[in-house]
Amino acid sequence: MRAKRTLVATLALLLVFVAVPTAVGAGRALVIGGSTSVLPLMQKLAAAYHKQYKRIPEPKVSGGQSDIGVAGAASGRFDIGDSSRDPLSTDPPGLVFTKIARDGICVITNDKNPVPNLSQQTIQGIYSGSIRNWSEVPGATATGPIDLFQRDGASGTQDAFQNIIMGISLRISPSASQEASNGLEQSAVAGDENGIGFVSFAYTAGVHAVDYQGVACNLRNARSGQYGAVRNFWMVTKGVPKGEAAKFIDWVTSGNSITKKIISSSWIAIH
Amino acid sequence: MHRRDAARDRRVELLLGALAVGVIALIVLILVTVLVNGWPSFSANGLHWFGPGGDVVTQFRAMQSSIPLPGHSIYYFRAWPLIWGTLLTTVGAVLIALVVSTLTAIFLTEFAPLPVQRVLLPVVRLLAGVPSVIYGLVGIVALVPWINENLISDGRKQSVAYVVQLNGASLSTAIVILTVMILPIMVALTANALTAVPPAWREGSAALGVNRWRTIWRVSLRAARPAIAAGTVLATARALGEAIMIAMVSGGRPFEANPLDGLTFLFEPVETLASGILEEFGGETNTPIGHTAYAMGAVLLFSAAMLSFTSWVVRRRLRRYGVGG
Repeated sequence: MRAKRTLVATLALLLVFVAVPTAVGAGRALVIGGSTSVLPLMQKLAAAYHKQYKRIPEPKVSGGQSDIGVAGAASGRFDIGDSSRDPLSTDPPGLVFTKIARDGICVITNDKNPVPNLSQQTIQGIYSGSIRNWSEVPGATATGPIDLFQRDGASGTQDAFQNIIMGISLRISPSASQEASNGLEQSAVAGDENGIGFVSFAYTAGVHAVDYQGVACNLRNARSGQYGAVRNFWMVTKGVPKGEAAKFIDWVTSGNSITKKIISSSWIAIH
Repeated sequence: MHRRDAARDRRVELLLGALAVGVIALIVLILVTVLVNGWPSFSANGLHWFGPGGDVVTQFRAMQSSIPLPGHSIYYFRAWPLIWGTLLTTVGAVLIALVVSTLTAIFLTEFAPLPVQRVLLPVVRLLAGVPSVIYGLVGIVALVPWINENLISDGRKQSVAYVVQLNGASLSTAIVILTVMILPIMVALTANALTAVPPAWREGSAALGVNRWRTIWRVSLRAARPAIAAGTVLATARALGEAIMIAMVSGGRPFEANPLDGLTFLFEPVETLASGILEEFGGETNTPIGHTAYAMGAVLLFSAAMLSFTSWVVRRRLRRYGVGG
């Protein structure tokens, strides 16, 4: 008797697990893909979107490259393509780019070595290993070899630094130490008078944030566009966004408290 | 009445059996997943996977950008710097910890006054449970800057500046903190075994006119060997798999630290297999980086399994005259 009851209960439970998601997931999930830089942000947004609107299936987000995102949006492979580069004249015609956030970095040095300003060329020289001593850097009070700190390969901040400041072809010197998070990079530079590193905007306490190309590194300058070490994140659609894609993009760009919180956690909210 | 009891027993038995089978199935599933996902990396590199050849970071960056290194497959990977780093940190820390923990355990059980012993033993056991990230934090906030400022001269930094940067995050920091991390478990196990040595054995030794040190050395420690072996294996396993602390304090740079560099060797950065997975693996499994990370995981799993097996063999041989373990 009891065994039969257990069996019925198990079957009922199975039914709930199998049937309910199929019923809820009646609509097709949005397919989103492209820039690996945008990927972590988009994954968070997609999860929060589904959490808020339980009836809408969570968008499927994948990585790749900005070019793949742009091309995928044009070919219909993606409902929405992700791009961390601005539109190019060579892009397929008829694409609509919607700006969703900015991404940027501050270059930091130790508080005892408050370098007032660094140009892109100087930072490139330092990080590629052609400038190895603080005595070669104008405005530096530290002496001796420069200790380079970078983030690890999986980091979006690393990706931003490589793309915004170094460019595609220039490699960071292999002698640079890798740190696993913004906070660890911050404390590594805070603990090393000869150190230089780069972090997201929220991680400049206890270290000196260097002006980049003569503009102070803060959120206000980054939002206004004066600060140079930033780039835009885009959602790309074929034509004006429609249907479920339009709903999601509107939600992301609506400036509501959830998206604002997610974007400001590591990026710059613009809406 | 009896029938119902028997039926209940049977149900509990089945439930426990199912749980046990479930755990074993889970382990097998993990093993299979790791091996299957790591296979593309092994098959593309063959046995050279374990050998030296080029810079690991460059290889990872190539996989990440999907642009293979000239003349190589996208899976090109030579893990030797990471394996070397794992060997250096693990063996270094375990050797130091073995000596220190044995002496500490002897002090705690044989020489320390009872009140001290009553306080210290629980404290040691408590220390064994401290999460490694705490040790990493202490390392990065205190030990790394201290070593950088006090032990590494500017001249030493300059002398190798074109090859590697020395900033305190180094092999020595990793070994020191790893030693501190694995000490408690080794001390606790050895001390437990030493207290479990039958008093008659030591009294017998004393009755034969053997002095205290010699008794400890020839009788107590000998009897505690299975426990010491067990502690060493546990500690080695922890050291082998430690990722976050190593990544925090050892420079995160897969440099092949070279003993021929003299004292500088100790200040050179290292990266281990475990910390390498942490630093390079972004979470996408079905990519060359993902497969390589799984392959690194497979090597770690295999090493841990071999370790358990060796310890089982060793302990079986030692147990005949031993206690604990």
